[in-house]
Amino acid sequence: MIDERTALAVIAAMTAVTFALRALPFVATRWLQRHAIVRRLGQFLPLAIMTLLVVHAAAGAAREHAAGPWFELVSIAIVVVLQWTRRNALLSIAVGTAVYVALRNFA
Amino acid sequence: MPMSSPEPDAAPPLSALALTTPVAMGYIPLGIVFGFLFVQAGGAGWLAILTSIFVYAGASQYMMIPMLAAGLPIGTIALATLVVNLRHVFYGLSLLDRFPARGPLRAYLIFALTDETFSLLTTLPASTPPRRLALVAALNHFWWVLGSSIGALVGAQARLTLAGLDFCLAALFAVLTVEQWRSKQSPAPLWIALGAYAIVTVLAPSHALLLAIALSVLGGVFWQSRANPATEAADD
Repeated sequence: MIDERTALAVIAAMTAVTFALRALPFVATRWLQRHAIVRRLGQFLPLAIMTLLVVHAAAGAAREHAAGPWFELVSIAIVVVLQWTRRNALLSIAVGTAVYVALRNFA
Repeated sequence: MPMSSPEPDAAPPLSALALTTPVAMGYIPLGIVFGFLFVQAGGAGWLAILTSIFVYAGASQYMMIPMLAAGLPIGTIALATLVVNLRHVFYGLSLLDRFPARGPLRAYLIFALTDETFSLLTTLPASTPPRRLALVAALNHFWWVLGSSIGALVGAQARLTLAGLDFCLAALFAVLTVEQWRSKQSPAPLWIALGAYAIVTVLAPSHALLLAIALSVLGGVFWQSRANPATEAADD
């Protein structure tokens, strides 16, 4: 049984830590904006972080089954090609996820 | 050139609801699993919902369940949260001038800056008004709390029958990667990120995402200062 008062204290601590991390760059906005390197990092990071989130999410999914990373590679490739050619985000995501679910459950 | 994220050229505008639909497809099932596991571990359902409202950080919420059930000290759980969520320190760098300068919308947008919300917000055009940014963030927040509530309330009946539905979050990230790629002059961030992840997977697989982001930041600093040596000297 999880004690309610302990859980409330843990929730408060985790909320504070998470919010502090998310707020840190904004607290230092003025200082950061004086440095051109930070501005260019702001341009550089979204594509890098997005790429990492794809790879990390796919790697995590690949660890849930024993078939190797092929299902993930095929599904991500389908999403990328669809998005690149058709540029319809919902279509890319729906088709990619449907193919992945089919591979995972029926292949 | 403003310092914000570039405008994706002529992407068809989506309603905030359509924009967050893929996130809903991921957040609702993942939230259900969180609420379910929390209740199974002996926690009250309302505490699971409270956690999703206030902590609002998926991986660390999953992590807290066994730690809470094992009765670990608050300091230990807070430290683990710091490690798991440390990557969020870098997210604001891309959004510094996108959020309103002050007020409750600013505070809320910062509070709600999850992986998925970061991904959507940095892909929206730089001219997007703060209210729309906040609406997107709030919808994502709502999907997560909704999923957690269903999981906490329905309990044992809420097991997912189809494996792999949460892959739509990976698909969403892939879509946003393509859009980011399209809007950049150079795909270098993508290659640097892939290289960083490959290195980290070999050296320290248990904190792969955080370390790969940190390595990409270093790679970005190095690559950018090589690409723009003159402005760098003038600025610093």
